[in-house]
Amino acid sequence: MAITLKKENKSKKIKATSHRKWTIGFLSAAAFIWVFYTYVLIRTPEGFQSVVQSWFPPTGLNEALVWVICALGLNIVVGYAGLLDLGFVAFWAIGGYSAGWFMSAFFHQANIHILTTANPALPGIHLSFWAVIFIGGLICAFFGIIIGAPTLRLKSDYLALVTLGFGEIIPQVFTNGENIAGFNMSNGTKGISPVDNIGVPGKALGPFDFSWKFAIFVLLTALMVFVSLRLRTGRLGRAWLAIREDELAASMMGVPLMRSKLAAYAVGAFSGGIGGVAFATHVNGVFADRFNFSISIILLAMVVLGGMGNVWGVMVGALLIAWINSTGLPAFGDLVNSTFNTSINFPSYNFLLFGGVLILMMLYKREGLIPESRLKAILHEADDATSNIGGSH
Amino acid sequence: MKKSYRAIGVVAAVALAATGLVAGTSAAQAATKVLTISTDLPLQGSSFDSNDSTNKAIALYLKQVKYKAGKYTVKLKLYDNATAAKGSWDDAKCAANAQAHVANKSEVAVMGTYNSGCAKIIVPILNQAPGGAMTMISNANTNPGLTKSWNPGEPDIYYPTGVRNYGRVCTTDDVQGSAAAQFAKSVGIKSVYVLNDTQTYGQGVAQAFTTEAKKQGMTVLSSGAYGEGWDAKQTDYTALFTKIKALNPDMVYVGGIFDNNGGQLVKDKVAVLGDNTKVKLMGPDGFTGYPDLNKMPEADGMYLSFAGLSSDLLMKIDPKGAGAKFVTSYKKAYGKEPVGSYPVYGVAAVQVILAAIAKSNGTRKGVTNAIFSGSGITIPAKKSVLGKALTISTLTGDTLAKDVTIEVIKGGEETTLKAQTVK
Repeated sequence: MAITLKKENKSKKIKATSHRKWTIGFLSAAAFIWVFYTYVLIRTPEGFQSVVQSWFPPTGLNEALVWVICALGLNIVVGYAGLLDLGFVAFWAIGGYSAGWFMSAFFHQANIHILTTANPALPGIHLSFWAVIFIGGLICAFFGIIIGAPTLRLKSDYLALVTLGFGEIIPQVFTNGENIAGFNMSNGTKGISPVDNIGVPGKALGPFDFSWKFAIFVLLTALMVFVSLRLRTGRLGRAWLAIREDELAASMMGVPLMRSKLAAYAVGAFSGGIGGVAFATHVNGVFADRFNFSISIILLAMVVLGGMGNVWGVMVGALLIAWINSTGLPAFGDLVNSTFNTSINFPSYNFLLFGGVLILMMLYKREGLIPESRLKAILHEADDATSNIGGSH
Repeated sequence: MKKSYRAIGVVAAVALAATGLVAGTSAAQAATKVLTISTDLPLQGSSFDSNDSTNKAIALYLKQVKYKAGKYTVKLKLYDNATAAKGSWDDAKCAANAQAHVANKSEVAVMGTYNSGCAKIIVPILNQAPGGAMTMISNANTNPGLTKSWNPGEPDIYYPTGVRNYGRVCTTDDVQGSAAAQFAKSVGIKSVYVLNDTQTYGQGVAQAFTTEAKKQGMTVLSSGAYGEGWDAKQTDYTALFTKIKALNPDMVYVGGIFDNNGGQLVKDKVAVLGDNTKVKLMGPDGFTGYPDLNKMPEADGMYLSFAGLSSDLLMKIDPKGAGAKFVTSYKKAYGKEPVGSYPVYGVAAVQVILAAIAKSNGTRKGVTNAIFSGSGITIPAKKSVLGKALTISTLTGDTLAKDVTIEVIKGGEETTLKAQTVK
């Protein structure tokens, strides 16, 4: 025991420095992209610009970051604490509607303007984007605890079923929430649009202030990365990992199961809420029929494909899948169709491709693109009898 | 540490592959500068047939006019606002398309969208385009709120700069719902039960139908402004229709789109209430243009309304007119008729856009001004593919025509019954 602890301390030190490197790497990559889209792209030939527009449109980048934020949240629940969650879309939806409620003219019976850039003549509740991010996150965290509470006594499949139910119920509530005893909560499938612009010092961001929005979304992602990394090495994170690996053993060792699990749900849900608010400002509205089961599954696939438990793996997985979903596959289809003069509808094979890749990954690289070393050790325990499971990660 | 190097390697490899692709395609780009007009339609899911046909019709029409609009040459670009995952329009895709329209410098106007919800995302973005609002003309958005007062705040919330940049060549739900109610009255319907699919469009037509039905003196057995909602995710509507059966209506009106489980709805209606001669069934244009529906034996005798003049009505009204001529040429080019009636309306929308380009200085702002200021745009009856003069209101962007076609499904096909002009 003592030996392992010593080892753990040492690896923590190494880990801290590598974290710093990673953070610098992440921020400089973001800065590079920002400079490229803001200053370089407009000075390139028009042909090149249109190619970038069809392969890597700036809006696609922002959308992908929203996916990353949500996937990082799910990673805390699934990757860290090992609680299978099939209903994460519910938090995205709640976050989205928080933006709809507090940043639009939807509640036209009210007239509240606080620190907002919205037109003062507009009725409705208009709070600052920065406040709504936290409000949305907190509402989601609250619901995360609500869903967490009854599932404390459930394990694996049963737990997954409850979360699945939650993920189905919440979007249905929004879809049918147009008339709850005469009160219009969600505007039904008509959705709430448009929502207010994001306000930054000195101006309100319009739909074309891509680089500003990108910077804001990168900041939010960085926040989630920071939270994920710091929590993981902390007391709570180690409790999560212990629960993930053996719940019974963890509780015997004095890990508070209830508190740790609820915390995982709350933190995960919080980032789902942030993602939801960000997404609502991204599409300039919130629409109930977006929030379907496939979103939960895609998010889960991002986590699994990228590398469960590894923040950077999840990020790469999320960016990759979001890109394939939104622009990659259609653009690739266009290229193939125009080159070979065919008319294959590539996006319609999205799920086939998706399923195929997942099966291949499960067969040959179960631990994901960028695996968490600890998980990798467990999965390959049989391959290498001398591996030290509890040791380095 | 090792981990980080590996990840950097992955990123670098992806970036390299991407630049390779970029370089490969950029060489193929032509250097000629022409004005681009685009279509923005959902090209996946069950409305694919209709929208694909619209794109084909527009491509054919542009070929017929030799890609000319006044002194400008135009080029067509297609956008898809659906994703495979959803099988219908997708909000994120609509937002991304809106940005892409604006970013594409040669693009001056958009023909679309198919769904009003998507238009509500795209129009405000085009409205704020740097250098002047970009115009979008729709062939199929029938939600009134896009152009006139409907829900609180509408339509001004869609035009943040205060300038109008959105028009349409089809009539709106309120006109269509009224026409359907007036038609129901004319065939002797006394009581009616109204259903809606709980979406923007479905509730809009259902509301207009309910209001007009009451005005016409019919008994509306459903409660609420737009009747009862049907849940598209439900697998069976027997209970719903059993409840309706007890009320004994002459007609059931289904406000909504076929995509929302309309097939099951029609099946269960016939199973419980009997075929469509006993208790009549009527739907709005959200049920037109679906071969799947027309082929169902249970759909036989179902009345449909269409917000405009249907293709075969065009042939009947003026067999030698521009509309009939176009439908004939379409048949010749593609071997079959356009799917439903929206494709011809798509061409009508393009006619408006081309006329505006001809009148403009070739900029987005110029095109928008041509439609929404001065004398506006009128396509004379002789040229209009709709068979009669098409005028776009400079104030709202709506068409001044209030034609609605009543169709009936017979022998697996939509057949035109009559034209109903709203009084």
